[in-house]
Amino acid sequence: MAMMMNAAASVIKTFASISPMTRALHASPGSKKIVGVFYKANEYASKNPNFVGSVERALGIRDWLESQGHQYIVTDDKEGPDCELEKHIPDLHVLISTPFHPAYVTAERIKKAKNLQLLLTAGVGSDHIDLQAAAAAGLTVAEVTGSNVVSVAEDELMRILILVRNFVAGHNQVVNGDWNVAGISYRSYELEGKTVGTVGAGRIGKLLLQRLKPFNCNLLYHDRLKMDSEMEAQTGAKFEEDLDAMLPKCDVVVINMPLTEKTKGMFNKEKIAKLKKGVLIVNNARGAIMDTEAVAEACSSGQIGGYSGDVWYPQPAPKDHIWRYMPNQAMTPHISGTTIDAQLRYAAGTKDMLDRYFKGEDFPAQNYIVKEGKIASQYQ
Amino acid sequence: MAMKRAATSVIRTVCGPVVADPLPISRSLHASPGSKKIVGVFYKANEYASMNPNFVGCVENALGIREWLESKGHQYIVTDDKEGPDCELEKHIPDLHVLISTPFHPAYVTAERIKKAKNLQLLLTAGVGSDHIDLQAAAAAGLTVAEVTGSNVVSVAEDELMRILILVRNFLPGYHQVISGDWNVAGIAHRAYDLEGKTVGTFGAGRIGKLLLQRLKPFNCNLLYHDRLKMDPEMEAQTGAKFEEDLDAMLSKCDIVVINTPLTEKTRGIFDKERIAKLKKGVLIVNNARGAIMDTQAVVDACSSGQIGGYSGDVWYPQPAPKDHPWRYMPNQAMTPHISGTTIDAQLRYAAGTKDMLDRYFRGEDFPAQNYIVKEGIVASQYL
Repeated sequence: MAMMMNAAASVIKTFASISPMTRALHASPGSKKIVGVFYKANEYASKNPNFVGSVERALGIRDWLESQGHQYIVTDDKEGPDCELEKHIPDLHVLISTPFHPAYVTAERIKKAKNLQLLLTAGVGSDHIDLQAAAAAGLTVAEVTGSNVVSVAEDELMRILILVRNFVAGHNQVVNGDWNVAGISYRSYELEGKTVGTVGAGRIGKLLLQRLKPFNCNLLYHDRLKMDSEMEAQTGAKFEEDLDAMLPKCDVVVINMPLTEKTKGMFNKEKIAKLKKGVLIVNNARGAIMDTEAVAEACSSGQIGGYSGDVWYPQPAPKDHIWRYMPNQAMTPHISGTTIDAQLRYAAGTKDMLDRYFKGEDFPAQNYIVKEGKIASQYQ
Repeated sequence: MAMKRAATSVIRTVCGPVVADPLPISRSLHASPGSKKIVGVFYKANEYASMNPNFVGCVENALGIREWLESKGHQYIVTDDKEGPDCELEKHIPDLHVLISTPFHPAYVTAERIKKAKNLQLLLTAGVGSDHIDLQAAAAAGLTVAEVTGSNVVSVAEDELMRILILVRNFLPGYHQVISGDWNVAGIAHRAYDLEGKTVGTFGAGRIGKLLLQRLKPFNCNLLYHDRLKMDPEMEAQTGAKFEEDLDAMLSKCDIVVINTPLTEKTRGIFDKERIAKLKKGVLIVNNARGAIMDTQAVVDACSSGQIGGYSGDVWYPQPAPKDHPWRYMPNQAMTPHISGTTIDAQLRYAAGTKDMLDRYFRGEDFPAQNYIVKEGIVASQYL
């Protein structure tokens, strides 16, 4: 195989010690073992030449990696002590995973992974990694920030409309041979004039607000940071400092925060009870931000008039996950950030970071989630 | 009960068979004194009628105008039974003065029914779209046909954008997996795309088309429109859309086609096998306009072959769609019954607009100009 690139700045450290500096992110010379965990496409793999996010296409970087002398192992088998991923934990250098089929990188796995230096998320959202453990072990964690933002914002707006217009009930009638306009229209509304609040107004939240603007809603946002006035004018949204003051005003609530220790289970029975009766909720953020059981109960009682999202805990969602069978839901598997367009973006971004890793160069600053023992602020 | 008498009302007799008298003014639209018989055809709500006080568009709530009409001494009969020679509607055809109908459960007002309806003066559409009426026959018979122009425009534009996203993002296969207990991201993602950067063309850019384009603007697509009329430059800037004078030239460029024309003799069946074959392979089509603009079987064939990658709309021919309508069972579809213009918000608007026109009819006053579809023997230009 062709020669490997030797980074001028690379520093060789031993892996035996545990201080954060010991696993500096410079590829030592020699072949690296890179493992990628993606979802399997099976018969769909060949249907679209741009379907790079699957196991079969492996981000489209196999040739490139192998031509540099590296080992690239790709699997979808990630759960349990006997899975394919577990076999490679002890000696892999880099682990690539995606939120759509996440490899849960626990403290235990980190301990076993003696060669591990770099955890890359092909996509956005690194909560499937124990970030504290990764920081303590001196690992670097990075994602392809921005690769999914348009995709998810579009998808959220689609779900808002699906819920507010009661689309799923209509489609179900069609495939069941029915026609009962009243059974849909008694609770089908325009989005115009309704109050929509986004919990979190980062990259995705802002793009959503911009797309909502021509709908002439009452737009509210809650975030750690207030937007500058120019951005507020662009989005037409009003800042709500107090989340619990914003929520009861909303006809529609959209979740746009990462999953962190602070946000885990935030939408529990108490918080849901304070929302408007019949509220519509869109959650493409993370399933674990919601209390699973509380959502199912509220959908059954009608406290939640409609719940739509593409995120679950855990993923893949088991066959008997209660959100599949509760009323008032418009769920899908985790797809919003893995459109073909987004796949091409995160494949390119992952390749770019691997390239920089081999060369000993820094990544784009906004991609770091854990760097030199520090966790990015949005995860604290 | 006392009735209001309009100062300017003129009494005309309606005599002789309607068909023999070709003069358009023989049924001038002023309510003669006396009780009028008003028939409304709406969809039934059954158990849903009481679930929402604003659910005015159903038979049970009858646009919310029963008390108002009856307090003026008029007779108001409301039914959903509209098909066949023995239906409830047919019983009232011979003597009704006003017939109100909605596109969501349309009463097909044929030339035959017009002939039988000796007292008929006014056909009102509670909503938008009067193609369920034989407009030429109505014009020849001197009837007035009017609809609540604008009552549905926001509703339908929002709904069209929803359907564009549902198709381009491949939502329904995802939903079906969920309720089937499955999880197969690849089965959805292999043909899920962002809307950004795609070419979207609207066939027709009237009220609804323009509102759709405005809502599409922040998605950063390539927006095209074809219409009888070119927009002024200010509106083009607002919508960010480019005029395409030649429909077929536009269609061949589109990843997504949205139908926004009324159903007229010119547009009936315009999307036939030949035209569909000229679209991009895998094109996505959204049609909330009228089912009969499409050739039913041609759409089925194209969805089955993949020439149409996704078809979504709320309109069918006929309506209600029968249990065995092939669009229910073809692949690549995201259909619903006819609902986009009958949101609660739209119902309140078209109920208010219908009441307003009835009020003007009783007083002998004109309707808002844009509401007329047939007036004094002339059919509105969009239907020609």
